[in-house]
Amino acid sequence: MSSNAMRALAGIAVVVVAVVLLVVLQSGSDDSSKTTKGLTTIVIKNGKPVGGIAQLTYNKGEEVRFKVDSDVSDEVHMHGYDIMKDVEAGGSVSFDFPATIEGVFEAELEGRKEQILELTVNP
Amino acid sequence: MSWLPVAHALVARKDLAIPTWLFAWGASIVLIASFFALSIAWRKPRFEQEGWRPLRAGLSRALLGPPVQALCGAIGIFLLGLAIYAGLDGTEAPDRNFTLTFLYVTAWLGFPLLSVLLGDVFRPFNPWRAVGRLTGAAFTTLAGQRPAHLRYPERLGRWPAAIGLIAVVWLEIVYGSSGGVAVGLSPQSAATAAVVYSGYTLAMMALFGTERWCQTGEVFSVYFGMFARLGSFGVKGGRLGIRRPLSAATSWATVPGSAAVVIASIATTSFDGAQEGAFKGALESTFERFSDWGLGLTTALRLTDTLWILLIFAGVAAVYLIGVRGMSSVGGAPSFAKLRDGFAHTLIPIAFAYLVAHYFSLFVFQEQAQFTYLLSDPLGTGTTDLFGTASSGIDFQVLSSNAIWYVQVGALVVGHVVGLTLAHDRATAWWGDYRQAARSQYWMLAVMVAFTCFGLYLLSVANG
Repeated sequence: MSSNAMRALAGIAVVVVAVVLLVVLQSGSDDSSKTTKGLTTIVIKNGKPVGGIAQLTYNKGEEVRFKVDSDVSDEVHMHGYDIMKDVEAGGSVSFDFPATIEGVFEAELEGRKEQILELTVNP
Repeated sequence: MSWLPVAHALVARKDLAIPTWLFAWGASIVLIASFFALSIAWRKPRFEQEGWRPLRAGLSRALLGPPVQALCGAIGIFLLGLAIYAGLDGTEAPDRNFTLTFLYVTAWLGFPLLSVLLGDVFRPFNPWRAVGRLTGAAFTTLAGQRPAHLRYPERLGRWPAAIGLIAVVWLEIVYGSSGGVAVGLSPQSAATAAVVYSGYTLAMMALFGTERWCQTGEVFSVYFGMFARLGSFGVKGGRLGIRRPLSAATSWATVPGSAAVVIASIATTSFDGAQEGAFKGALESTFERFSDWGLGLTTALRLTDTLWILLIFAGVAAVYLIGVRGMSSVGGAPSFAKLRDGFAHTLIPIAFAYLVAHYFSLFVFQEQAQFTYLLSDPLGTGTTDLFGTASSGIDFQVLSSNAIWYVQVGALVVGHVVGLTLAHDRATAWWGDYRQAARSQYWMLAVMVAFTCFGLYLLSVANG
């Protein structure tokens, strides 16, 4: 390859890096703002979560808090953290635990294999 | 739309999407490495010769001799038998049953890794090869002559393995759905499939010969053997030896259908990575379309996923073939067909990188289960405890998200560079003129950048 072509390629590479860095700097600012605050209540009607699967997002170390109001009797299983709690038909059950493990986790009505929550824990 | 959950039976902790800044860094390193690769182009091929040297004769005799080979075969048969038995007789809970984790994590993901590091280790453990060889030997002794076989149609090449590879992944992530929900494959179905595959494989071995079928037809031999070509260890003329890394890959794709095998690997891993993230919306709208046509939920979901696996296979193939078409337009190029087969091996590192990027964390988590409670209580009865580890769990804290991200992006970048290296090396071997060789590699560079950036993109939207 000629040295001109090489210089052109190096130039392109530099431009690409510059654009990429710009993207990085732009996106760096809005990282930690969208975590869940307060107590979320997941309402179960006919064995399904009203409004679809609930989405909760926390940073590691925060306290995960949610409540399940259910019209069916089942066991709520918070996978990954492996917390299981029974819920009566018409009853409710509360979860309150520290977000110690990073990743994406499901909570299910174990008997029905119905996912009710997607929990995201960011580092 | 969040009413179409796609759940894996085994995964309790899923990876976070890689953050934007890491995506950007990964992509820019890939581009810089690529431009750098173009400028340092070496002029003489370095990987076309294996430089094979035998290891100590005693080591070869010990490892390749009949006692060790027979022992390995017996272990392979025992483990396959255990997987089938546990699947049929054990618990229906996929995560508490030995079968799924053993077949789809320990073996399916473990052997590619072992093969790269240690060579073709699946070959001695291959349960069907062991049965085939045993049956052949028994036949020869009893009948006083060697069994006669049909001639394997050369044109078929590795196509049976390519189709089989898609079928294996299809079974895992497409078939296991019911009522419009992907609930994951049941241990019973996996065990039944293993029985069916065993019958099919033994029949093919009887028809074409055990070793012949392992070379090009038997899915696991072909698939794991492909990754073994990247590493340094190999067997030649009954001797264990060491060779230049990557050099054995250059002679891998001489059999028809080889490109299809490596493309199938990239495509199926892509589908698994995309179904919950990048292509989630597209999958949902296809699913709704099929549902509107009056198909049952399960049928509609399976049809949707099947269609998309095939579409991604076609897409990956198209990108590669466009690159090959481009190369064939450069002066002094060999024919399109020769180039298509001659550069297929350059995608093996990409396929391996995709595997690492998508399944690294799953492998680390699930192997903890494999070697604790699944070993002590393979049927998941809750009352067995063979080794005193039945009550252990998976420690999901062994990997931080940062560690997972760096491994994922690192794997893709390294795979990209290795793929480029192999492609450039092949071009220098095949184009007499080094300028033309370099020119042809703009095309393969584009192909590699496309695959690597697609891989990064899939990671960056892992959870939609």
